[in-house]
Amino acid sequence: MDDEVYSFALKNTLDEIQNICPDIKNSFIFTEDGDILALDANTPEKTAVSVVDAFDTILEKGEVVGDLESVTLDSTNGKVSISNINKLFLATVTSRNADKNYVNTVTHVLVPTIVRLLEKMNLTPTKHDFIKQDLKPETPRFRPEERQEEQFEETEPERPRQPVEEEVKPNGLTPEVPVNQFIVENIGGLLVPADTIRIDNDLLVQWQGLYEDRKIEEVEIETFGGKSTLCKVKPIKDSKYEGKGIVQIPEKIQNNLEIKKGELVRVKPIIP
Amino acid sequence: MVKKRRDEQEFALTEPITLEETSSKTTLKSSLEEIKNYPGVIGYILRNTASASIDLKDPTKIIDYAIVSSSALDAAKQLSELFDLGDPKSIIIEGTGIKVVSLTIDDNKVSVFMERNADSEEILRKLHRA
Repeated sequence: MDDEVYSFALKNTLDEIQNICPDIKNSFIFTEDGDILALDANTPEKTAVSVVDAFDTILEKGEVVGDLESVTLDSTNGKVSISNINKLFLATVTSRNADKNYVNTVTHVLVPTIVRLLEKMNLTPTKHDFIKQDLKPETPRFRPEERQEEQFEETEPERPRQPVEEEVKPNGLTPEVPVNQFIVENIGGLLVPADTIRIDNDLLVQWQGLYEDRKIEEVEIETFGGKSTLCKVKPIKDSKYEGKGIVQIPEKIQNNLEIKKGELVRVKPIIP
Repeated sequence: MVKKRRDEQEFALTEPITLEETSSKTTLKSSLEEIKNYPGVIGYILRNTASASIDLKDPTKIIDYAIVSSSALDAAKQLSELFDLGDPKSIIIEGTGIKVVSLTIDDNKVSVFMERNADSEEILRKLHRA
């Protein structure tokens, strides 16, 4: 994910926070180096830069307090709060009568969640942070002539697979493997196979179009917690779930991946 | 990033010192003397244009603490002006090590330094009553 998308997502978050909490008059996010990542619609960049400058002075001269966690200014007509969230600083300006607890709940829950989510989304297959973990790759089922990436054999398709380092094999003829995000939905019933997920038929057709003569029957699901697994894929049967960015996942796979209904996962096709 | 600038002439104090007492400062100082005994309080700096009182458990850090105090109060003024928030009442800086509460009462600039778990709200209430 590039910086633009990252900033866009943060800006939307700030705007939404203001929608649900009108007592927040201004908000923006900046880095320890003073780079402004996202501004809400009410805050001119010049103002944010001035705040960062003022904050920078404290940051530089405040070694004695340790790593800076927060600065809270209480003035006669409002408050300014700057909080350290995962090495990013969130600045908010609130009105005098703002409900401090509500504002804190909104900002200190929503923003860190979005930041964490964005960080996890940033883990593309070629630059996973978690590949450095002490993991034993399973027996590879690598087909160099046909695949863009290494894949590993799954004896039990629904069992969560520890992430392993993936090597990109550049191949000018094979299109890049698409990765899509979906919201998890339950799938139940007596005849539902435990190793098969369901996604939009349109998407399957689209994938099929990318890799002519190859039928996509298997996908890799990856959670934002870093777990992944291979499983079979079929089109969604229930029309009420079509076109809504939903992936229907059997309970067993959900349990193995430690996810549940409503969470986001990434799904990419396994090119045979 | 700006390098730390130390005005040693202003802050070259090696132990708790009272440079000059003014009558307006007396009540505030007695409140600070009480606050100094609150759990987790490390010390305080009280200054105005004419005098300064500094009482810190670790005198070797007087300059560092004085710089933080000054920066905090300057930032408070600057931020209040930027967002048109009126007069700054207090600014709290919280780090992984300690917490600093700074405020201006009349002409007196006060900073109280404390452990992170100290009750800064109670200290603020006490100072505002002074």
